[in-house]
Amino acid sequence: MNSSYLFSILATASIFTLLALSLNIITGYAGQAMMGIAAFFGIGAYTAAIITTHDGNFLLALLAAMIVSGVFGAVLGVISLRLQADFLAITTIGINFVMAAVFNSLKITGGTLGLTTSKPVIFGLKMNNMYFFIFTTILIVIVCLLITKMRHSWFGMALASIENDPGAARSFGINVSKYQILAFIIGTALAGLTGGIYSHRMGFISSTDFAFVVSIQIVSMCVIGGLGTLRGPIFGAVVLTVLPEVLRFADNYRELVYALLLVIMVRFMPEGLLGDDSPVWKFLVGLFRKIKPRKKTRADLIAEKAKAGEYELSGEGGQA
Amino acid sequence: MEELMRVEGLKMYFGGLKAIDGFDLVINKGETLGIIGPNGAGKTTLFNAICGVYKPTDGKVILEGKEVQGTPAFEMAKLGIARTFQISKPLRGLTIFDNIVAAAGVQEYTGIGSYFHKSHTKEVEDKVEAIIHETGLSEVANKKASDVSLGYLRRLEIARVLVTDPKLIMLDEPCAGLSNFAINEITELIFKLKEQNRSIVLIEHNLPLTMRVCDRITVLSYGKKICEGTPEYVKNDEQVIEAYLGKEDED
Amino acid sequence: MFTQQLMNALAIGSVYALTAMGATLIYGILGILDIANAGAYLIGAYLGWYIYYGTGSIVLAFVLSIVAVGILGILIQKFIYSPILAKPNTLSIIPLVAAVGLFTMSSDLVRLICGPYSLSYNFDFGVTSIKIGPVVLVPAWILIFALTAVLLLILWIILNKTKLGLAWRATANDPEIAKVCGVNTNNAMALSYILGYGFAAAAGIMVGILYNSITPALGEVPSYKMLAIIVLGGLGNPLGTVLAGLIIGFTEVFLSAYTSIPIPKDAIAFVVLIIMLLIKPEGLLGQKNKI
Repeated sequence: MNSSYLFSILATASIFTLLALSLNIITGYAGQAMMGIAAFFGIGAYTAAIITTHDGNFLLALLAAMIVSGVFGAVLGVISLRLQADFLAITTIGINFVMAAVFNSLKITGGTLGLTTSKPVIFGLKMNNMYFFIFTTILIVIVCLLITKMRHSWFGMALASIENDPGAARSFGINVSKYQILAFIIGTALAGLTGGIYSHRMGFISSTDFAFVVSIQIVSMCVIGGLGTLRGPIFGAVVLTVLPEVLRFADNYRELVYALLLVIMVRFMPEGLLGDDSPVWKFLVGLFRKIKPRKKTRADLIAEKAKAGEYELSGEGGQA
Repeated sequence: MEELMRVEGLKMYFGGLKAIDGFDLVINKGETLGIIGPNGAGKTTLFNAICGVYKPTDGKVILEGKEVQGTPAFEMAKLGIARTFQISKPLRGLTIFDNIVAAAGVQEYTGIGSYFHKSHTKEVEDKVEAIIHETGLSEVANKKASDVSLGYLRRLEIARVLVTDPKLIMLDEPCAGLSNFAINEITELIFKLKEQNRSIVLIEHNLPLTMRVCDRITVLSYGKKICEGTPEYVKNDEQVIEAYLGKEDED
Repeated sequence: MFTQQLMNALAIGSVYALTAMGATLIYGILGILDIANAGAYLIGAYLGWYIYYGTGSIVLAFVLSIVAVGILGILIQKFIYSPILAKPNTLSIIPLVAAVGLFTMSSDLVRLICGPYSLSYNFDFGVTSIKIGPVVLVPAWILIFALTAVLLLILWIILNKTKLGLAWRATANDPEIAKVCGVNTNNAMALSYILGYGFAAAAGIMVGILYNSITPALGEVPSYKMLAIIVLGGLGNPLGTVLAGLIIGFTEVFLSAYTSIPIPKDAIAFVVLIIMLLIKPEGLLGQKNKI
């Protein structure tokens, strides 16, 4: 395998990883049914492409892609407050189709011809696949760090509460609407940023790059890996980018295998291969714990002491 | 006695349905007030209208002299009105410990700013641990809420309320669906709260329990108050007996 | 010209209504947004084609493919959807993802088995057109109107006049209470799938005859347009679905005939949907308090 082919796959995988992470914020952490992430990916892609073709700076274009996409995301977030889960899913599917149609017909997005971008230069480096891969991977690392910090903050606690039970979340002071909109803004802004990278890495974009199928692919990545975890979407994105390449010899059956895998996964392991409740993940964790036991949490310590009879027990409270 | 909350002329209409129709109530600091009434009397609706889950059609809710009616539920929680749910609403994917931590953040959920504050600080964890002991949840502290029985979930509801340092605790049928054994435990817990001089409003179907723990009882029937007073007084009120047992036929 | 467009709109609207009816019946009971229903539509069209060419009877083609695809529906419900729904804490998008997977599988299987090229029904009505005054009727339209009317009538009778239909309505209203009252909710689910997939199959054959061309990509447009229609109709409301199907049919035909809006025809349904959801979030005939 030559290295340019390798880096081409790696660049694609890293871009889709970043996109899967953006969807994971909205659907995984905040629990909102988003089925049209490709629309926001596209908004970012076109925004950045339009700016750089008018001689704008690449990094500034990426920033603009984030902002424009995030603004659209905020609008969707406000809409989402009015809609129940299934309605939201369908509305986001609808937004995806409408946006793809808009990209396909507006003059500024190049219509059916699409847009051509030139390879950007960052810090004097002309971006090739390898640099795109490195650049995106750095972003992935930053995003992972930021998300980890979020998971340990009250912000993360708020999203987890909303994902589990919005009614309960309200009862202890969480402004569900506000956090829901924030999750949409953050997720779609990240999708927009990823789109900006994508359009420059590809050198050419057209509306089919942002079709509903793409949204489904991203959802599949998250679901197969495990929604609501960091490792899941990353794993899913890498596998689903590499798998089609491996299956290239059986090109004719690629879609079928892909779809079959998806159905088998959601049928037998809807929590994803690496989700918290997945048997595969539990097995892996079990192996790892033999080498390095888990640091006990405060909750573990309390439960252990209670079982050892160190506290005054209030009876067999579990009986109902 | 010092007044904590006053409800004046509260109305809650759904279209033509008058679920609550002009309801007055005073809750004093440190007292335990029971709200009883037959099925469909509007007890839970009353809770929801007071707690901001519904916006009342009309009327006032005054907390320590300030009008707060129509304030959304999450703001009410921040103001110190904490409630449990008749149908438990645990955060199923989280441990019991984390469920209580989540509620402990009641004053922390400010939006973007909350990103910059860690949730599991030592201070928070100490507080949560104390409440876990108090409510008898120690054994299951590290279990996921989806894996524990209803008795624990009921106590989790109460634990989540306590950890917010509420001014007023509103318990919506904390014993619904529990065995006698578990009911006794919850009763014990409510007595413990009474000893701490907390202000409590209790909706309960179980009359003997309500009579035992409450200082004062209000009886609700078809959205209206039909009687109020000490448990002894309410027990002997004719209207109450009628509402519960139906009017006896003359012949 | 106007009357011509009107008839065209009515024909297209009828097909939409029939295609979306399957998804509506399924949503009404299981709460699944079953995109795979469009797979049933595709398989129905192909199965019908083979039966028609094997036997020469279009009636047999309709009947057999409705039955076969209906049975396929029950199998899918039993072995895929029910187990997924039975798991606690399933995210609401999981069944939808399963449906997308099933739909993709069906399209691809049809492509691999039947070939990627298009097939023609070449159904001969005996006449090419019927003239009534200034209006020229295409025979295929009449077939579609008549069949849609018959199928909807059958549906109405089953839902309103039979015990099974009563079970269906009870389950759609509140599955828990229905179960407590002794309603066999499993039968209601099976009914949803047999009717849902059967109707989709019939719609597939009709479209095959109308456009005289079927390809493995036949289900793609209906798969998502169907969603817009069932939401417009109030999710799970059969009457609303018929109405919504007609509305979308009319909007599409008239907007593309008399205006030059920049959105393509197939995106119109969603534009209508999004506008409507903003005004009336519970759907056209949806119940307001259903949470």
